[in-house]
Amino acid sequence: MSNKIKGTGRREFLQSGLLGTAAAGLTIASTTNVSAQAPPEALEPEVTNDVDVLVVGGGTAGHVAAIQAARAGAKTMLVERGAQLGGASTTGGVSFPGLFDAWGKQVIAGIGWELVKESVELDGGKLPDFAKVPQRHWQNQVLTNQFLYVLLAEEKCTDAGVEIAYHEFPQVVTKTEKGWTVDCVGFGTKRRVNCKQIIDCTGGAEVVGMLGFSRLREEERQPGSYLFRLGDRHEPGRTRLNRLYVHGADSTNSRTVTVANMTGRKSILGKIRKEGKRITHLQPETGFRESYRIEGETLVTVNDYRSGRVFDDAISYAFYPVDLHTKTGVKPKPLKPGTVPTIPLSALIPKGSTNIIVAGRCVSSDQLANSGLRVQASCMGMGQAAGVAATLAAKAGTPPLDVPLKEIHALLREHGQIVPGNA
Amino acid sequence: MPSSMPPKRSTISLLTAFSFLVLAVSGVLAFVRPFSIRIVGLHSLIGFVFIGLIVLHVLNNTGHLDRYLRRSRVWATLGIILLLAALFFWQPAPVRSVLSLSGNLGPAIDRFEVTDQGLSYQYAPDERYKMALNVRTGLGFDPAKPPHFAIWLENASFYHIKTLHTPTGLTDAASALPYWDFKRRGWEEAKREADASGKDLAEELGVDAISAPTQNSSFDPADYILPENTDESLPYRLLIEINQAGDDQASLVYAVDIDNVDPRTFQLLDLVGYPKKEEGDDDGKEVWALYYVDENFESALGLIDSALLTIEREK
Repeated sequence: MSNKIKGTGRREFLQSGLLGTAAAGLTIASTTNVSAQAPPEALEPEVTNDVDVLVVGGGTAGHVAAIQAARAGAKTMLVERGAQLGGASTTGGVSFPGLFDAWGKQVIAGIGWELVKESVELDGGKLPDFAKVPQRHWQNQVLTNQFLYVLLAEEKCTDAGVEIAYHEFPQVVTKTEKGWTVDCVGFGTKRRVNCKQIIDCTGGAEVVGMLGFSRLREEERQPGSYLFRLGDRHEPGRTRLNRLYVHGADSTNSRTVTVANMTGRKSILGKIRKEGKRITHLQPETGFRESYRIEGETLVTVNDYRSGRVFDDAISYAFYPVDLHTKTGVKPKPLKPGTVPTIPLSALIPKGSTNIIVAGRCVSSDQLANSGLRVQASCMGMGQAAGVAATLAAKAGTPPLDVPLKEIHALLREHGQIVPGNA
Repeated sequence: MPSSMPPKRSTISLLTAFSFLVLAVSGVLAFVRPFSIRIVGLHSLIGFVFIGLIVLHVLNNTGHLDRYLRRSRVWATLGIILLLAALFFWQPAPVRSVLSLSGNLGPAIDRFEVTDQGLSYQYAPDERYKMALNVRTGLGFDPAKPPHFAIWLENASFYHIKTLHTPTGLTDAASALPYWDFKRRGWEEAKREADASGKDLAEELGVDAISAPTQNSSFDPADYILPENTDESLPYRLLIEINQAGDDQASLVYAVDIDNVDPRTFQLLDLVGYPKKEEGDDDGKEVWALYYVDENFESALGLIDSALLTIEREK
């Protein structure tokens, strides 16, 4: 599979300064290769930050990546378009992250688990017993209090030294000799961030798209879910919420997200009128299952996933059934006993790139593999690994892929993560 | 037959001969064909008719029979028949191998057997469906003291829908095979409550209250074995619980998931875990769950070498 940017080679293109204009017409089955439109001109900054690592997106993978990078000694900044951290776990209302275990053993730990565990304990909740065989995969998801999680995630970021910029998002990304200059905009704020490494945790690999690297997207994507609660009183964050599918939900830009949110809310209002029940909880926005995935140096296929392939450059485990939601619902396909998939570092690296790494559901994978990889515990694992790889790369002045795998594994273990293989 | 034979006698003889013909043909068909209640029913009922005719035939021929019984070879012939009867009853290996050629599993729809190599269970509720579960015993298996075990089917909501093999000679199933016993009791109780309330069993059990998008499950085994609707898959699973008395180890549960629309011909069962009684749910009901096997298990893991499920279903 090849992917050429029109009119120029990729390396030349990346080094040409202001980046963004690209197009590609590559198609894999129903997968379409797309890239973002040309960015606006660079903005005159009001605020400037010089950091080692810039994390874009404070969701499930992003806040873990930022905490990890800062704890490992990198000067770290986190830019988040919303008002709080946690992403799907908090804003999306999927306050039951999983899965941290497989076949009776914990396979994902580290910073994500530290946050989940602490939020459950502080809230007087109960952690699942991983020794127990779950009849359904979701029985070992951890019920957390989404509000408490927001507070803890923010505290851990600030304690680690992460500088957080809410309500901002990159507009222009420019390659420099030392790394990148990223111009961000928020209301009343224009910020320029000079960084050595970018960790794109936007879910849809938005920064990767702005840079013109190839991304994959299905013609028909999985529906998003709008979470709410009707009827009885409940303990927010400690009980599962009702779910309403938002078919066609598209997280490409603010306009499509607006449409998805309005569609979801309209349906919920109709439900209230029809059922005559009180609404007792409403998340602020739709949770998106699927959008763009990068075309990485390695593509994780569903066969890799189902067979539990241990990649040579595996940096974290993942565990979840193949879980494709469609218009008719979902029929999870559990993995065979003993199977624990792994995620390679090279699936987090956009093909042909330097000094940028992704983490989260935009991991380079086919749609079916992604339906299992996209869940929160796996994203947290990826986030921590990306935090380590970016930090070591920033320190060494090399691309993340050039960092010796042994060093990445060693630092991950030092920070409590469970790492596949013995490298 | 002499032409001077009275009509009554000749009629009885002809009836006996023709009924024997039907008996012989239906017997051969019952042996070579898959089980059919029509063939086996015909064979059995014509057999009763044949017995009645034989009685009349004997009464018509007492003179001849009396002379036959006075001959010395009567003992030899009786001995031959008794020997064959004993041989067919005890079924040594050569006889079993002949029986294995049969396309019929016998008048019962299932058959369970303990052999030198393991356990064999065959289930053929219909001509179009044949299930065989062959369990090879492991090093921990003692043929002189075989373990207790049960085989049952569960639907996708993990409710018992049919016990295929009930343990024999077991006085306390709750102790020896607690998981199967818990599942079966729950199913029986739900059936009773459903009958009393007039509700559907799935409604009574509140199937899949949480995972709404997940396929709800039928409680009718026929929906899994020979589904009428083959457009949508309705998975189910087969489980074995096995326990060796006196080994101070909990029972073990093995299972395999089956696709009712397109069942695989060969599937190996996987070890799932061991049952443990839970503290009790919010309603105070008895709850048993399975736990992953830990280092406390030794010989119990050697009871079974492997278990192969074979399903041959008419496509």
